[in-house]
Amino acid sequence: MEKPDLLYSPPPHLNSGDTVTRAMRDVLLALVPIIIVSIIFYRLNAIFILIVCNVTAACTAWGMRKLMGKPHSLEDLSAFVTGTLLALALPPTFPWWLAVIGTFLAVGVAKEMCGGLGWNLFNPAVFGRVALIILAPAFVWLNADMAPLHLRFGIIDVTSGATPLALLKLGQGQLLPSYSALFIAHPGGSMAESSVLAVLIGGLYLLFKGHINWRTPVFAIGTVFALTMLLGSNPFYHVLAGGLVFGSFFMATDWVTTPITDAGKIIFGIGMGILVALIRLYQAAPEGVAFSILLMNPLVPLIDALTRPRKFGQIVEARIPVIRIKTVSK
Amino acid sequence: MATRTFAGGIHPPEYKEQTNSLPVEQIDLPQQVIIPLHQHTGAPCTPKVNVGESVTVGQVIGDSDAFISAPVHSSVAGHVVAIEPLPYFNNTRVLSVVIEVEGDQVWVPDQDPLDYRDINVEDIRQAVRQAGVVGLGGAAFPTHVKLTPPKNKPIDSVIINGCECEPYLTCDHRIMLERPQDVVLGANIARKAVGASKVYIGIETNKPDAIRVMQEVAGEEQDMEVVPLEVKYPEGAEKQLIKAVLDRRVPPGKLPSEVGALVQNVGTAVAIAEAVTLGKPLFERVLTVTGPCIAQPKNLKIRIGTPVSHVLEQCGGFSQTPRKVIMGGPMTGWAQSSLDVPVVKGTSGIVALPESMVSEAKWHNCVRCGKCVKACPMFLLPNFIGMYAEAHNYDKAEKFDVLDCFECGACAYVCPSRRPLVQFFRNAKAEIMARRRRA
Repeated sequence: MEKPDLLYSPPPHLNSGDTVTRAMRDVLLALVPIIIVSIIFYRLNAIFILIVCNVTAACTAWGMRKLMGKPHSLEDLSAFVTGTLLALALPPTFPWWLAVIGTFLAVGVAKEMCGGLGWNLFNPAVFGRVALIILAPAFVWLNADMAPLHLRFGIIDVTSGATPLALLKLGQGQLLPSYSALFIAHPGGSMAESSVLAVLIGGLYLLFKGHINWRTPVFAIGTVFALTMLLGSNPFYHVLAGGLVFGSFFMATDWVTTPITDAGKIIFGIGMGILVALIRLYQAAPEGVAFSILLMNPLVPLIDALTRPRKFGQIVEARIPVIRIKTVSK
Repeated sequence: MATRTFAGGIHPPEYKEQTNSLPVEQIDLPQQVIIPLHQHTGAPCTPKVNVGESVTVGQVIGDSDAFISAPVHSSVAGHVVAIEPLPYFNNTRVLSVVIEVEGDQVWVPDQDPLDYRDINVEDIRQAVRQAGVVGLGGAAFPTHVKLTPPKNKPIDSVIINGCECEPYLTCDHRIMLERPQDVVLGANIARKAVGASKVYIGIETNKPDAIRVMQEVAGEEQDMEVVPLEVKYPEGAEKQLIKAVLDRRVPPGKLPSEVGALVQNVGTAVAIAEAVTLGKPLFERVLTVTGPCIAQPKNLKIRIGTPVSHVLEQCGGFSQTPRKVIMGGPMTGWAQSSLDVPVVKGTSGIVALPESMVSEAKWHNCVRCGKCVKACPMFLLPNFIGMYAEAHNYDKAEKFDVLDCFECGACAYVCPSRRPLVQFFRNAKAEIMARRRRA
């Protein structure tokens, strides 16, 4: 008989076919509805920001890994997920140079400098978004220098005024859009905030694909709803306006930076929800989803340790005789 | 059908349709058999024959004085041509007796079938030991040891394992269909040996015909019940099966006797029946030869020591070039680099997979998706154990209970980063055990 060239490798010899690349591709697919809504509202502005962030993300990932002597990992698509998530977390008219800086911080600092995908403590896109907010004062001079280079693609048909959450904060409830407008599509704020419906379609797709766990978004959104209601605000606006639904489904469900067990995911969701409600109600900023996720990220190792499952058969000693007596008497 | 099961686990494709309707066949004998003297968990046997000596079918060729060991018998008549360390399916070399096949190859019992009810418990255990019966599900643990439970741990339930949760394999399925009386007889003998009252036969619901046949036969017995189980891997793992059937949890590091249970594979049950009633040594077993690369997939009754290459020839050779030939099931079996290794007592199947089904994708960092945590039937954290083992941090791996892992491979099956978790765990366990021995 012919002698085939046989491969030796450890078991198991079958696998589920799941790959990181496939999961990342599904996340990108899940973002398509949001991208479509953004393009409808903001036209070329949305496309431009998406391109800027994705190109920066790819270049940063490639360059950083090159510098560190690692093989590039663009095929796992995680750089593009970070780039797209960050782009969608920005307003459509965001200065492109700041988008470049934010994406560099997200992919280069929060991800690659922490060891690459899998080792990052913070959600890269959220890290980039928050860095842009916190470092804003440092960019004042830059903005002044770069302002002539600011690109605008046509007039954006957006009320450039306050976002719904800001209106809520200012007590100008009479100016708020209707619930249904906020749910289906309403321009304003960051691109991902445009349509709760589009976010939900993507989120449900990820749930259906088994990539994310329902517990985190349900408990995060539920906590915000309950807490804002208890504290006397309008819970519907707190859920429908702002980035809560987007953050809960796409950022708080990130594999790498959230807890590993079901119980841990619930704790993460509740913790994040509490922080969102407290920031929105008691801090100067009208929005706090990104901050909340970023604050919960470093707690993940602790949550994982606290929610470590009890291994099979590890039970209170007394239970075994109880079981025995029951079966013997039968 | 109401089904019971355990928590965790995975649902790999079953791939059983190639062979599950094929009756067990016999094949031509090879010219030579290679019989390793250490085919079981426990102490290896020392040779009881010399080079040049003639042997008969069923003659003892290796034995040991150790309690946890099982004698090895010649599976053919012929003469011994060599006794030397030869490649074994698990990538090591084991002292093996090579026998040139010649003469009459029929085994005839030298006794009329006995009624097990007339045999006392000690004689049952002796007969099982003398026949060299070991667990045929794959672990090859000596059966007489399991039939001798500690005095302070009474056993009330015998579970016959007909799950066959490994993809591709159908030999246990065929045994239940073709020899249900012997399965029940073996179960009764085991029940008597350990003094249990109940017998349960656990079968996954993907084998409705086996459930029906076993129900018919078991229905005529006292306190014997067929338990349909959910189709899930690893339903047939000992602790998971006990949980599914009896709803009892074997504590970490303990044996099934701790919760009053004894588990025997259906093939082992038949071997027990033959050993006790006929005095037949375990010199042949049923296994499944299958996979997309096998020209004629078959369920075969094969003499122990038959080289894999001979078995494959008898199945028409390869229909397409295989990339992997696995001894055992595809979840826990061993990939072979040579086809000269012999079939042994623990070989439940030979599976040949083509290039297209073999993943050579490089593995990368854990991305903490948690799929392995959901899959682990022991409720461990394979992600962390794997990361610690990869970093050679074996103290941490031990703290995360790597020693409770029984290497079912469910974690590695679901891993999107394709991490070789089972290999990491084996490295960690080997290192931890080596340190303990040194200490």
